[in-house]
Amino acid sequence: MGDWARRLRSTRAETPVNELGPDLIARVARGDEAAFSQLYDLLVGPIFGLVRRIVRDPAQSEEVVQEVMVELWRSAAKYSPERGSATTWAMTLAHRRAVDRVRSAQAAADRDDMVGRRETSRPFDEVSEQVTTRLEQEQVRRCLGTLTDLQRESVVLAYYGGRTYREVGELLSTPLGTIKTRLRDGLIRLRDCLGVA
Amino acid sequence: MTTADIHALTGAYALDAVSGVERMEFERHLAECDSCAQEVMELQETASRLALAASAPPPPALKARVMDEIRATRQAPPVTEPVPLRRRSLATRLSTVAAAVFFVAAAGLGVVVFQQNQQIDDTQAQIAQMEQILSADDAKLVPMANPDGGSVNVAVSSSQDRMMLFSEDLASAPAGKTYQVWTIADGNPRSMGFLEPNNGNAVLAVSGLSDAGAVAVTIEPDGGSPQPTSDPIMSGSLTS
Repeated sequence: MGDWARRLRSTRAETPVNELGPDLIARVARGDEAAFSQLYDLLVGPIFGLVRRIVRDPAQSEEVVQEVMVELWRSAAKYSPERGSATTWAMTLAHRRAVDRVRSAQAAADRDDMVGRRETSRPFDEVSEQVTTRLEQEQVRRCLGTLTDLQRESVVLAYYGGRTYREVGELLSTPLGTIKTRLRDGLIRLRDCLGVA
Repeated sequence: MTTADIHALTGAYALDAVSGVERMEFERHLAECDSCAQEVMELQETASRLALAASAPPPPALKARVMDEIRATRQAPPVTEPVPLRRRSLATRLSTVAAAVFFVAAAGLGVVVFQQNQQIDDTQAQIAQMEQILSADDAKLVPMANPDGGSVNVAVSSSQDRMMLFSEDLASAPAGKTYQVWTIADGNPRSMGFLEPNNGNAVLAVSGLSDAGAVAVTIEPDGGSPQPTSDPIMSGSLTS
């Protein structure tokens, strides 16, 4: 399990069969349940961690993860390697679903109902401490450290907090134009540090 | 919104930090801007690394539920032909009815703009988006009359997987209530948001129809309901 993050990342070049890449997605697209089971095992950790971080409520997080997984199964045939790696395809979908969930008024009502439950649940940091992907975490943490404070705050609020840039601007009392630039510059710096593309 | 403004959104877009309307406007821009598409791809790749770093162990029982559900879920077909990137001109694509509704709606949006200056950007994006939906080959207009006054029109395109609702002279919801919009797939309603008319005008953009066959509007307590608590006052079919 320790090096799956590296396996997940190595989706651009040739990909061995037991890793997440176009071949595995193609098998899933043909309805291969064993391939899907493998894809699930590779992706569920990051998807669950991400969704949980945005949605917070454990029961709702599970629902969203289930939706995301079923959507990956349903739309596997639409995945196109030219538009990015399989991991990015999956994570983009997961992030969007989580964000859609917290932004809908329905979720707002649900969250209000669940304030009590949420307060008794484990705080996020404790959960994240159990993460097996130390290496990936450390690299991302190190690279986040190369951003300016303002870039990092904005990127973290937007991505892990599921906030819109307008909300980020409001939270940081910063003009919208500045926030947009900060998000872009922050990501570009992160991209260069992580050696993406 | 100027082109430079749109371009600055690559970061916000890659982080899903844009509103629904901005997302669609930006995607429209992406289809015509290769350098933006490349940048967005790299920034999305970068963002997904943030996801990998947030990994957490899921409940073990989840997998069995997912496996059960996929066995009961039909998969979408592959994309078999390239989708044309450029739109044909609006005039050649719009039917007379669609054009009439479009211009009435655009005029309605103008009223809203006049009153709420800060929403100009959003409004322009809404008009652009409606124009784009109506220019799809499978565009469809679904009129729904409100028994309490006014109407809601739905412009929908299955190929674009989205729709836009816009009201005309829509009566305000009763005090303490709101109009909640649902899509219905296999009998299951899914909340898509609210219509809050201002001088009878309200607009709602919805992306991700997930094969919904119908759209419905119910009156719900302010803040909305997780599931409809009353019968729809308006509904229409989304299938062609």
